[in-house]
Amino acid sequence: MQAMKSRPLRLVALLAALVLLAAGCGRDDGGGDTGGGAQTDGEVKTGPGFDGTTIKLGVITPLSGPVAPVFGIPITAGNQVYFDKVNAAGGVAGKYKVELVKEDNVYDAAQTKPKYDKIKGDVAMFGQILGTPPTQAVLADLKRDGIVASPASLDAAWVREPNLLPIGSTYQIQFINAADYLINDKGFKGKPICMVAVEGEYGDAGIQGLEFAAKELKFDIAVTARYKPSDQDFTAQIQQLKNGKCAAVFLTALPTQTAQIIGGAAQQGLTPQWVGQSPTWAGALATSPVSPVLQKTFLWASEGATWGDQSVVGMKEMLADIAKYKADQQPDVYFVFGYVQAIAVHALLEQAVENGDLSRAGILKAVEDVSVDYKGLLGEYKYGKPADRDPSRETTLFTVDPSVPGALKKLVSVSSDAAKKLTFEAS
Amino acid sequence: MTALIQRLRRPPLTTSYANDLRLFPSWTAKAGMLALAVLFFALPFTLSDFWLGVLIRVGIFAVGAIGLNLLTGYTGQVSLGHAFFLAVGAYTWAHFGGELGWSMVLWLPLAALIGAAVGAIVGPFALRLRGNYLAIVSLGLVFIGLHIWNNFESVTGGSAGVRGERAATIGPLDFSALDVFGQKLTDDQSFFWLVWFFVALGALIATNIVRTRPGRAMQAVRDRDVAAEVVGVNLARYKVAAFALSSAYAAVAGALLGSYSEFITPDQWSLPLAIQFVAIIIVGGVGTIFGSILGALFIAGGPLVIDDRANSIPLVKWLVEQGGMSTATFNQLLFGLVIILFLVLEPHGLAGIWFRIRNYFKAWPFSY
Repeated sequence: MQAMKSRPLRLVALLAALVLLAAGCGRDDGGGDTGGGAQTDGEVKTGPGFDGTTIKLGVITPLSGPVAPVFGIPITAGNQVYFDKVNAAGGVAGKYKVELVKEDNVYDAAQTKPKYDKIKGDVAMFGQILGTPPTQAVLADLKRDGIVASPASLDAAWVREPNLLPIGSTYQIQFINAADYLINDKGFKGKPICMVAVEGEYGDAGIQGLEFAAKELKFDIAVTARYKPSDQDFTAQIQQLKNGKCAAVFLTALPTQTAQIIGGAAQQGLTPQWVGQSPTWAGALATSPVSPVLQKTFLWASEGATWGDQSVVGMKEMLADIAKYKADQQPDVYFVFGYVQAIAVHALLEQAVENGDLSRAGILKAVEDVSVDYKGLLGEYKYGKPADRDPSRETTLFTVDPSVPGALKKLVSVSSDAAKKLTFEAS
Repeated sequence: MTALIQRLRRPPLTTSYANDLRLFPSWTAKAGMLALAVLFFALPFTLSDFWLGVLIRVGIFAVGAIGLNLLTGYTGQVSLGHAFFLAVGAYTWAHFGGELGWSMVLWLPLAALIGAAVGAIVGPFALRLRGNYLAIVSLGLVFIGLHIWNNFESVTGGSAGVRGERAATIGPLDFSALDVFGQKLTDDQSFFWLVWFFVALGALIATNIVRTRPGRAMQAVRDRDVAAEVVGVNLARYKVAAFALSSAYAAVAGALLGSYSEFITPDQWSLPLAIQFVAIIIVGGVGTIFGSILGALFIAGGPLVIDDRANSIPLVKWLVEQGGMSTATFNQLLFGLVIILFLVLEPHGLAGIWFRIRNYFKAWPFSY
């Protein structure tokens, strides 16, 4: 009986001893918000992902799976080419080399957090997180860990997020400007304007933009047809458009669906003026069977310059960089997006060096001070405190023309009064 | 000292029925539990956040798999609808924890209750259907669920998904940032304890159920439901109860998954997740609690390990570089193959292999 009494105590003691022993081993993790034992190197404060010589940037993007060749691979190539140039010139502030730590999340929100956890201790910030759902999936962690990320997504929700460095305009602005162009310059006033949007936040953003434009420019949206991301058949939506006798259709879709919807409508004799949100386009569409229809009826709403236009400073520099660091790169609008994103991230890092602090807290602070020169590749974005941020209000409309590299030719740049009236709420 | 030597010499064989029913039948089992307890306390201080994240996911899958094993492994009701019940729990978190900010003391039991209630509604189908027919009906549940999650926007956020506060607090304890002796822990360190506490609790409850009267009734239903009814087992009661219990486990797992990810989308709760749970109990061992945890370790943790170590495994490295295959694709092929091999070669799963090894040493030196 005596032995029985003391047994639990013995157990507890043994347990405690073992725990202490194991805890003594410590863990090799630069994560957490400890700042990684920040020290001072000359003037610039170091932190996780910056050891005084190299700045490491995390990239979470689809490098395999169906979305990879369209978005993930070209955007990441754009990031890489830009930072190759920066490194060849010595690096950030002429001395700190930049290294990209790339992780493949197959465009799956659920796989994004493990990838984030895997590299968060090794990176100073995230130079790219591709897409709205993956960004949503780690937003809470970014705030908790005090890390900055640049989303490769034009969602309006990012404008007021302190831990994000968004670039460009938003999906809403693209459609407001495009609608302004059609109504005021192309005589679509009084004609039925329609909308096809995928379900989800991205589709909602397109609808919000067109509805805002409808209110400002005083027109009615005749038909709003929606579909599920997994849909393969769009007969019902096309029939809705036919019944509405649509003269112009605004499309918020992904590239695979762009071909099916526009091609399917053409087969049924419906060829309205199409306006596509920036992610509706993929280079492969230019050589696909729907290309003739697209050339006649499609306007692509985005930002920037025609590929190869040497009169735009940013484009000229980019083409020179491609020739030097990735000669086999095909003309691709998503490459440009990645390149431009890297311009913004680079400017942020320069700002942090100027502030003398490349720790996580320092980079987070630098987001408020940074200003970025996009050299004509993207409209100007006013940064600052989250409440004062103002995204680009500019949209460039492109037509499809296989005779130019990249098959997209700049038609006109619009920054309408209506788009300037759009306001952004904190989430 | 002599007592210790004697105890070590005595082979830990089961010699009575009462001994067979004991929770920890031998000193080796007790030592094993002690070692696990040490790991439980020590791992957050030794592993990196990434590996803790892997183990958190494994733990969450283990809780769900224990539930499926109670239903499929012990009661013999094949279900492909487990993903649906996980979603029920996850959206319970999303609404009551993520949106309204209730304490975990409230939303977690609520998830279990709602899960059990939904399970009890579905349960009666099992009274009319058996085997493959039940599997197909439960499969339908996943698709009905997808429709609901995509359209019940006020709670699920539609197909865009819903983001919410973690709300993992019990009184002063916040499992997204615990304080241990003045040291502030990361969210993965803290959440690890939360999840594995529930794995232990879930395993304990399940073990207690299966080694007592209801467990024997459930196994009788599994082996032959008509015969079970003849000897006095109330079929309606046990089949429905098994569904309710299993769904409650799934809902708790779903709620923990939601709280840990802080963001859930409807396409998470589709067929692949349901299949994954079936794979876990097949690979781990049908009809064992312990196997559910082993299976989760293998099926939920394995792909992440391979993905992390892709560069140091020659075959994977070669396939990725030469074959143009991604590690994600490789994982799908590998784990598909593993399921087939387990079904054909080792129907008792990892737990079966473990039991054989254990029995060999138990009877040593007379193991033949």
